[in-house]
Order: sequence, then structure tokens, then C-alpha cells
Amino acid sequence: MSSGVLRKLAGLLVLALVITYPLIPGLNDKIESMLGKKIGDSFPTIFIYGILALALNVVVGYTGLLHLGIAAFFGIGAFTTGILTVGQYPFQFGFLPVLVVSTMAAALLGGILCVPTLRLRGDYLALVTLGFGLITVTALRNLQEITGGMQTLNPIPPPKIPEILRCPLESLGLTMSWTEDYRLFYYLTLGYLLLVFVFLRNLEHSRLGRAWVALREDELAATCMGLNAARLKLLAFTLAAGLAGMAGSLYATKMTNTTEPTRFDFQLSCTILSCLILGGLGNRTGVLLGVFLVAGYDFLFAPAADAWLQRNDMNPNDKGYLKFSMWNLMIFGLALVLMMRFRSSGLLPKRRGTTTGKGA
Amino acid sequence: MSDPLHKDQDLRADDGPIEESQKTSETPLLNVSELRSGYGPIEVLKGISLHVNAGEIVTVIGANGAGKTTTLMTVSGCVKIRGGDITFDGRSLTGIPAHEIVKLGMAQSPEGRKIFPRLTVLENLQMGAFTVRDQVRVREDIEKAYHYFPILKDRQKQLGGTLSGGEQQMLAIARALMIRPKLLLLDEPSLGLAPMIVLKIFEVIRELNREGMSVLLVEQNARLALKIANRGYVMETGSITATAPAQELLNDPRIQAAYLGE
Repeated sequence: MSSGVLRKLAGLLVLALVITYPLIPGLNDKIESMLGKKIGDSFPTIFIYGILALALNVVVGYTGLLHLGIAAFFGIGAFTTGILTVGQYPFQFGFLPVLVVSTMAAALLGGILCVPTLRLRGDYLALVTLGFGLITVTALRNLQEITGGMQTLNPIPPPKIPEILRCPLESLGLTMSWTEDYRLFYYLTLGYLLLVFVFLRNLEHSRLGRAWVALREDELAATCMGLNAARLKLLAFTLAAGLAGMAGSLYATKMTNTTEPTRFDFQLSCTILSCLILGGLGNRTGVLLGVFLVAGYDFLFAPAADAWLQRNDMNPNDKGYLKFSMWNLMIFGLALVLMMRFRSSGLLPKRRGTTTGKGA
Repeated sequence: MSDPLHKDQDLRADDGPIEESQKTSETPLLNVSELRSGYGPIEVLKGISLHVNAGEIVTVIGANGAGKTTTLMTVSGCVKIRGGDITFDGRSLTGIPAHEIVKLGMAQSPEGRKIFPRLTVLENLQMGAFTVRDQVRVREDIEKAYHYFPILKDRQKQLGGTLSGGEQQMLAIARALMIRPKLLLLDEPSLGLAPMIVLKIFEVIRELNREGMSVLLVEQNARLALKIANRGYVMETGSITATAPAQELLNDPRIQAAYLGE
């Protein structure tokens, strides 16, 4: 019991820290000068990866199906956003409608992919999602007339800040420029991450959330209870695709372009999946911890460590093998192997109910 | 609904409102005729016929591999019908998926219990009521389940997988009751349990039956099953080889020799 309360307190503390971090004057500047690297700009990307990981968690964590193509839906969201905003297309919608349409588009494609694959189980389903991911990247790259290919679609304008928000934001000391002040995207992406987090928490405790877990535990028994397994899987896939599309839309907006299609390849799907396994499958907090560790290594630790080595003349010829950022996959792989051996349910495993009445 | 069959209403006293068509003795609640089914290239059921009248406990006994479980799985829609037909409550079940059959009022407690190990006892019961939208009714039914199996109430926050075998079996039955089924399919409720627990579970089955529920019971513990059943069927390698009132089967020397260990 007390450990549950402790967990909750720790969670709230982290949340408070994340919200206040950019508001403490000079803190970010100080850390940046210490590390010799601009890190404020990396936080929104980490938050967006958080949304993507929570999306994948709907399929892999709740229903227990292996999904290896989540990055494809992330990319579809990004490119839908590109098409709806950039100058060479006649749309140029505002931020919110674009976000909604991108979410819908990815969800729709997720549903369409799911319908013919519902009968597949286990490894076969994983292979189809893997294939879909590969096809999507190739399609985005080769449909140059539509997607811009490797030239990307740009520039994607930042969202407009409503007049009502202008005053309170300025009183907090934020400047109203998306490019100069990293904190605008910081709070925008953090807000969406929290929104998704709370939405999924409520979903987990709903009839639908229970049904997904039941399906993972025992499909036969679940069917005997009157659950429509096919429909539930379709829902999970569609929801995950939609949330991933939303993350993609935020990502493109943050990056001010769609970024190259190859960024949405299998490696990204794999990295996000590792975040889930590292943090604790099915546990939202654990998933976010996993994202923070993995993306934190990529975006915060490795660049800072490399800059430090550079400054201290320990890597004079800029050798790749002396760079932390080049060792990332090696380290993630090793971490996963160690996790499987010593803590196979993740750093923060999913817990439900009590075990022996001892209130563990 | 005005029905010409309405005149035969004195035939059987069932509590609760039931469909008109059910009131005639010619239409059993469950009717299985010439049923064939199996897995892949293997045909397990080679054309079996049986029926369950409303208010009856009917048991199917037989050795390992006779096809008892396959019979239940086919009736509940988890295994596809390959030939013959099943009618339940006047409707043919051919082509109806398992999750739709549940909504017609047939619940299954599958072999090996199949509770959800990582859901709590309470959540397991809520899953049983998945097709029931009325939350007041669900709460009532959970209380009722706790009345039948008080131990489940003490364990309601515990994970299903941490229960003992007997408690899991009770949970599996309680979970099946959540849809207020007209027909309850029970597959080996005595499997691997201590004799004391088995007696307790069978007592509850009898009590449920007294309250009007029909039961199709598959058991290897033939003696116990025949003691609480109205009628019994004997299955051998995919066919029904004998059927009689349960008492007669109990006294039949051949059955005694083959299944009752005498």
C-alpha cells in the first residue's frame, strides 16, 4: 500500500519538476553552458516520442500484439501535416484542424491495415506491421510529387497563439517567438503528452481497457465472455495509429518540416519498442521512463558528453568510435539483454491488484 | 406475440419470463442433431445428437479423447460446426460467432478454468458481464456470485492467477453466471480439485439448477455427475453410445464397469 502512495508522490514530484523546469530563471541556461550544448530544444522531441510510445503501448502493452511499424503512422501524421500546411498546396489550414485531420488520416490507414490482418496471430501479424512500415517509408520517399521525397515539405508554420493566452504567457516571461524561445514548444508538446496520458489512464480503467487486457490474457476465454476479439483488435490498432499520427503532426510542426521519410523507418519503430520493454510494458509511467532514458541518451546525454570530450581534447580527430552518440544502438541492445536477464517485466512493471492480501 | 402454441402453457413451470416457443416439450432449450466438427484434418465429432430441456441438468460422460470438450466448444461456437445443426432457444447456431452466442443466453465455463490470471477477481467478474450494459444489474449479480461463493468476496482485489485451483474454478463458474444464462456449459468443474471442494461446487450447481438454470455438464468424475444430473449421455470416440436417465446409467453394470470403477 505505502509503496503505491510513494509511487504516486514520486510521479507528482516529477510532473511538478517538468512543469516548472523552464520557468526557473537561468536554470536551463546554466545547464546548457555546463554541458556546452543547447538542450532546451530537445525536450519537445522527447515529449513527442513519449506520445508515440504511449500509442504503441495501446497495442503491445494492452492487447499483447506485437506491432513493428508504429513509425509508419508517425510519418503519415507528419506528411499529412506537411501537405495541409505548406505553400505548394492550396490548403494551408491552421494548427488544430491539421492536428485533427492528421490523427484521423493515420487512424484510418491503421484501420485499413488491420482489417485484412485481423486473422493473423503472433509472429505473422508482427511481420505484416513490419512490412507496412517498410512500404510506407519507400512510398513517402518515392512519391516525390506529393511528399517532396527527401527534399521534405517545408516550411510548416508554427501554431498561432490565441490572443487570450498571449498575456498570461508573457507574464510568465515567455517570448512570443517559436524559434527563439524553446519553451513554447516545450509546453505545447508537454500539454498534449499529459492529455494523452490522462486519456489512456481513463481508458485503461474502462470496460474497453479491461476487455483488451482480457484478450491478451486468454483470447478463448475472452470470446466465451462475449468479447468480439476482431473488433477489439481493430480498435486498438486504430487508436494506436491515430495517436502516432497526432505525434507525427506535432513533430512536423516542431521541426518546421516533414523531415526526410527515412526518419520514420524500422529503426524508430524498434527504438520506441525498446522504450516500452525497458520501462515496463503496459505501464504508462514506465513507458515514459523508458522514453526518457532512451531519448534522453540520444538527445541529452550523448551530445553533451561528445561536446565535453571535444572541449577537453580527448577526441581530437572527431573519430566516430570515440563518440557516445555513435554507440547508442549498442548500448540500447546491451541494456535490453540485461533487462531480459535481470528484470524481464521492465523497470516499472505493470501492477494490478494485490497478490496475497499482504498488500504488497 | 400471439402464438398458436400458446395453449400448451401448462407443460412446465419455469420461473422468470421465457420465450413462448420454449414452453412446449417438443422444443428443447438446446438441441444438437447429427453434429460433426473437429480440428484441421481430424474429425472429432462423428454426428452426435443430444438435447437439453429447460430446467434439466444433462451430463456427458466418457473417457479422455471421446470428444466431450469438443462438444461443448462446438455448442458455444468456439469450434466451427461442420455438419448437422445446433439449435438454442429456437435459433440455429450455425454460422453465429461465439461472442454472439453469449448474447443469446448461453455461458461457458471452459475446461482448465481459463480465468484471466492478471485481472483481479472483481475484474474477472466484470469481464463476465461484458455484454451486460446495465451496471446496476452487474453489481447485483456480483453480490449474488459472492453469495454462492463467499470466498471470492474475500479475494476480490486479488489477481485471479494467485487463487487456488478450487477458488479459480469457483471464479470461472461465477464469471459464467454474470450474463444470467439460460444454459450453463460446464467443462470438467472437478478437474484437479480436492474432493471437499468438488462437493461444494456440485452443491452450487444443484442450487443453480433448482433456481431454474439448465446445465450441460461434461465430467470425467462420472459418478458425481450422474448423481446430480437428470439424464446422461455416454460418449466414445466421437459418438454417443448410450443415453438414459442418470439413475439408470448409475445402475447399469456396463457403465459401472467402464466408468464408475466397480
